[in-house]
Amino acid sequence: MAAPSMKERQACWGAWDEYWKCLDENTEDASQCKKLRSSFESSCPQQWIKYFDKRRDYLKFKEKFEAGQFQPSKTTAKS
Amino acid sequence: MLLLVWTPKAWHRLFLLKPPALLWTPGGEALHMRYRLMSRQGPGEASRQSQPQGPGFRTRLLITALFGAGLGGAWLVARAEKEQRRQQQRTEALRQAAVGQGDFSLLDHRGQARCKADFRGQWVLMYFGFTHCPDICPDELEKLVQVVQKLEAEPGLPPVQPIFITVDPARDTVAAMARYVQDFHPRLLGLTGSAEQVAQVSRSYRVYYSAGPKDEDQDYIVDHSIAIYLLSPDGLFTDYYGRAKSAQQIADSVRRHMAAFRSVLH
Repeated sequence: MAAPSMKERQACWGAWDEYWKCLDENTEDASQCKKLRSSFESSCPQQWIKYFDKRRDYLKFKEKFEAGQFQPSKTTAKS
Repeated sequence: MLLLVWTPKAWHRLFLLKPPALLWTPGGEALHMRYRLMSRQGPGEASRQSQPQGPGFRTRLLITALFGAGLGGAWLVARAEKEQRRQQQRTEALRQAAVGQGDFSLLDHRGQARCKADFRGQWVLMYFGFTHCPDICPDELEKLVQVVQKLEAEPGLPPVQPIFITVDPARDTVAAMARYVQDFHPRLLGLTGSAEQVAQVSRSYRVYYSAGPKDEDQDYIVDHSIAIYLLSPDGLFTDYYGRAKSAQQIADSVRRHMAAFRSVLH
């Protein structure tokens, strides 16, 4: 499978930006961004989507952690 | 500015401190006279003197300005020396790290064999990545190209050769590299090779890479270290720049290395 060309990369990044913007505006409620999600999925390779999703999870966790709002679950704390 | 603010007070203090000492020196009378001329604080002096007393505001300002300029100059010299020392220490530390020693043997994106000696006499900026990379590699390559363009725009600077080395030789064939590099810069050279050749060059530059799990499409992401390397015309590793460095910062650093460069080869 050939790597995305510059044009394909830019199309993917555009869809990615819009989807993340929608998540920002709707406080992470993905059900409000279904249309943009499907455009994101059709513009980017599947592997990249997984990568961007994981990245968002991480960034959200980091944000929460840095704000001091992160509470480790009890099971984690015990182990 | 600070100097100007506290100076008037300092002048007074200086004048208050000096007179007793001056009074008792031989020929103190003359000095004393001078003191009287210069002092603003002597009681009743103002009425006897028609001339304005003490150094005029302009004189004080001039002396203060000269003093300030001297201090400022000394500070600039000290800072330049410190910067030079810092760069020397960094160069020395990087030399001891012995990064990028030995040769490499790879294929460029036109299918031509390339080794390190081919780049002797040229400054080289080098980045390791892979063509299926989602965002970081294209960003970093974009930055690398900006650095090259900034330096190209300055007359009198030697040209810089941008190089992209893949850490995903299984997918990044010569043709894949050719397709990829053309999007960035006409002189960007893509290098690939066998798994062993890529492992060897990566090890030599202390580049870590590890392919992630494959999905249904046989697609995968390669995790790898992110740094742009600078090689001098002697082919020696000279500096490296992480993600946090901007194109401008890198260009400034390369320019400094160019200015300080003395070839150790004959």
